[in-house]
Amino acid sequence: MGPDGDGKREARRDASGEPRPANWGIAFDLGIRLGISVILGLGAGLLLDSWLRTSPLFTLIGMALGIGAAMYTIWDVARDAMRR
Amino acid sequence: MAEEEGESLIHIALGGEELFAIGPFVVTNSMIGALLASLLLLAAAWYVTRQSTLIPSRLQGLLELPVEWVAGIVAGSTSRWRGYVALVIGFFLMILVANWLGLLPGVGTIGLRHGEELVPFVRPAAADLNFTLGLAIITFVVFVWWGIRINGPGGYLKELIGEPRYMAPLMFPIHLISELSRLVSLSMRLFGNVFAGEVLIATMLALTTATVFVLPLAFFVPSIFLGLELLFGAVQAIVFALLTMTYITMAIAEHDGGHEPEHDPRDDHGEPDVHPASSPA
Repeated sequence: MGPDGDGKREARRDASGEPRPANWGIAFDLGIRLGISVILGLGAGLLLDSWLRTSPLFTLIGMALGIGAAMYTIWDVARDAMRR
Repeated sequence: MAEEEGESLIHIALGGEELFAIGPFVVTNSMIGALLASLLLLAAAWYVTRQSTLIPSRLQGLLELPVEWVAGIVAGSTSRWRGYVALVIGFFLMILVANWLGLLPGVGTIGLRHGEELVPFVRPAAADLNFTLGLAIITFVVFVWWGIRINGPGGYLKELIGEPRYMAPLMFPIHLISELSRLVSLSMRLFGNVFAGEVLIATMLALTTATVFVLPLAFFVPSIFLGLELLFGAVQAIVFALLTMTYITMAIAEHDGGHEPEHDPRDDHGEPDVHPASSPA
């Protein structure tokens, strides 16, 4: 069941040398999650600003956190891929 | 679709449309689509469990094929794959059948007239955000639950806070947004693809209906898009199922420090097994 000794390249591909199906899912997922992370951060900031009337403080913080979350998502996926 | 002069040939509704209500409970056409898909799957499961033989018939083989294929992929993910394989296969089959059901003649075109608008009896379930969000919430709860199960509630919270501790005010919201983005991404991708397919086919049918008297061969144009939707329906089902598997695998691997044992001792005790189609994650 396990990948044999020569490693990381083997783990990304199946026996026929094709990319593993789970990697297709990651590829489909990564792009859309980058955008959504920024939108979620920005949306949360806008909501907080409209409730607390502190515009544009939380909008800027939310956007920065959203961009940070997008970068973290890339790092998280890359770390998982390297681990495998 | 509407045929009267001056009336729109395209009817597109963003959400499911109400058919009837049982007290406060509103039944929409996308619920009927989901119910039909569930009934089809139940009938297939009943057939396979009642009529199954060791040497499968053609129909049994056909019904077992997608289950074995997905099970083979999941079996290569972690040693705990038996704990979530049923969920991944269930998602795959449900979304596949619900998507393909939407391509049958009559779905989205036969319904009740409410004034000038036609409300179809059946709408593809995944063309309603409520359905896809429901599936995504199940996935979200399951992968968080796996994270908590492996690492304990305190350990899971520590993962969210991150290291070093003084960075917690920055890292906690970042982790939270990143986790929530999975929920939104899963639901919006499936809904967006299926809904866009519905709009595309409705547009193509309207265009060809309008031009068929000039170009009789125009009737063949929607069939090209129906064929593409058949493919996209299957691709979206497998993407959703594989992402569910990937998220659970990542939750397990992260908390186990990425050193998952690949061998499940239960494999040695004669339990029914599947043959992984791929190497482990």
